[in-house]
Amino acid sequence: MATTEQLTAYLAGAFDELVTDVAFGELTVHVPAERLLEVLAWAKDDDLVDAELLSDVSGVHWPAGEHVVERQTSTTGWPDYRTSREQGVIEVLYVLRSIRAGHHLSLAVQTPDDDPRVPSSTAVYPQAAMFHEREVHDMFGVDFTGHPDQRRILMPDDWVGHPHRKDYPLGGVDIPYKNDKTIPPPNERDLREVVR
Amino acid sequence: MSIHEPTTPTTDPATDAPAVPAEDWSDDLFVEGADWESLPDAIGEDTLTINMGPQHPSTHGVLRLVLDLQGEEVLRLTPVIGYLHTGIEKNAEFRTWTQGTTFFTRMDYLAPLHNELAYCLGIERLLDVEAPERAQAVRLILTEFNRIASHLVWLATGGMELGAVSMMIYGFREREHILDLFESQSGLRMNHAYIRPGGLAADVTDDFVERCEALLRYLPGRMREYEQLLMKNPIWNDRLRGVGIIDRDTALAHGVTGPVLRAAGEPFDLRKSAPYCNVEQYDFDVPTDVGADSWARFTVRLEEMRQSMRIIRQVLDDFPTGPVMVDDKQIAWPSQQALGADGIGNDPAYIQHIMGESMEALINHFKLVTQGFTVPAGQVYSAVESPRGELGYRITSTGTNKPYRVHVREPSFVNLQAADVMSRGLTVSDVIVVVASLDPVMGGVDR
Repeated sequence: MATTEQLTAYLAGAFDELVTDVAFGELTVHVPAERLLEVLAWAKDDDLVDAELLSDVSGVHWPAGEHVVERQTSTTGWPDYRTSREQGVIEVLYVLRSIRAGHHLSLAVQTPDDDPRVPSSTAVYPQAAMFHEREVHDMFGVDFTGHPDQRRILMPDDWVGHPHRKDYPLGGVDIPYKNDKTIPPPNERDLREVVR
Repeated sequence: MSIHEPTTPTTDPATDAPAVPAEDWSDDLFVEGADWESLPDAIGEDTLTINMGPQHPSTHGVLRLVLDLQGEEVLRLTPVIGYLHTGIEKNAEFRTWTQGTTFFTRMDYLAPLHNELAYCLGIERLLDVEAPERAQAVRLILTEFNRIASHLVWLATGGMELGAVSMMIYGFREREHILDLFESQSGLRMNHAYIRPGGLAADVTDDFVERCEALLRYLPGRMREYEQLLMKNPIWNDRLRGVGIIDRDTALAHGVTGPVLRAAGEPFDLRKSAPYCNVEQYDFDVPTDVGADSWARFTVRLEEMRQSMRIIRQVLDDFPTGPVMVDDKQIAWPSQQALGADGIGNDPAYIQHIMGESMEALINHFKLVTQGFTVPAGQVYSAVESPRGELGYRITSTGTNKPYRVHVREPSFVNLQAADVMSRGLTVSDVIVVVASLDPVMGGVDR
């Protein structure tokens, strides 16, 4: 079993221009979308990485605007580090697992949220990536170029919108209180609000 | 006159084009899924496309299987899912971290404790805390009992689907004893929300060890009964042996993990390769088989139940004492519970402390309960071995009191991809066996 440090060093040797990020004992490799298939194919065939299993594909939407991004170690107080993002992105995350060696690593691909497009990993993992990519397509609207069967999977076929995007409303109804007062439904509360 | 004969002329005399019936009653009589047109590809002249489900009793809930058939031979199986989609992942983004356990426990409702455990282990890694030893021991005991309970339901429903209805009664009967144990500790048979970030919601009761040991004495005898009932049963043998074969490489190519992969000879178990809850301290084997068919999955699951009991036995022999929640007042859920004489679970000493002695403790209590704690920004992927395979939680935090995004890698969802390749060339009745041996739980598939 390769440790996270070994894997990081090994990856840095193989692809010196990729950004590797070790946090919470896990290795994440940030890959430009156009190089994704190359890195995936390499990770699958390489003897040390040996990523036989594509465990998971998921997405995170980071809309344009102000965000908390930096890590902080304390659980007390409130995050100080914020950054603003001009272009919203959707981050597609892949978890690759080695069955024989027992380790795993993540790949992260960023794509603009107004035209999200990522090459489909079905080119490397023809069967394992099918449902995962359909789910990310369903939930985030990412177009996986080359996916043979890109349909919605969890939402109804005629659904409009992609529910896991942060600009998608949560829905809900006003909750009536006495004296005809209401509190707003969750979709009208600020998503990035930090309760103080 | 039959209702199937239209009452209006079939062609419009003016244009000689097919006319629209004056009253289109077909919509009232026939309900079609919107995707129906796109699903059946014309494979050949003699193929028949049928819907199995979403309400067929043998499809494990609301799973719809679209089968392309030639005669009775399955040419292609297309699972159609999403009927049970409840938006749990999205909902969790609007609740505090602790409230998240209440949601995620409802995903795979046959393995609720595994869901809670994977979620809480992920949060604990972000928080950089570790639950106390006693909490880890209780977590391990309960999740292993949960594995047994889940496999019992698999035996029960699988047996029922293949005609062994008595197995259904026995499986659910034994499971109920395990659920009694869960109820005695968490208050609920299922959907416990008992494992919390930082430890457990409450300490176990005084008779916990005794209850576990009673179960360990009770279950092995019952399992021998199942073996006697099924192992030499000719119908059970005929229907399982050689059906739904998927070899190791094909299984991995489809992302399949858990007992299905182990029945194909690959001893992959996250309890061995990425241990959690100190499971590496205990001796247990990862059962495998070389059959790679439904029979192999049956024997592997039976043996897994025995190995789970072996782990529980060892944990109970050296059951740690001490707290069950981290000693960090910023994180630890403040409820201190002890069953009082009035039957209400509040600890009088704790109530006295927050109400009468310490204003700060009262403020801390209310801030934690209403707003929760904050979790440092970052991203983790935490996985445990659920009864169905690798259950992974990809948790993203931005440093606030709510998850920014939680994505669940559900083993049932992924394993269902392999149903197609496992069913091709089999008959419709064998599709039931294939789906049963995959053991998908629709609450987990659709989330």
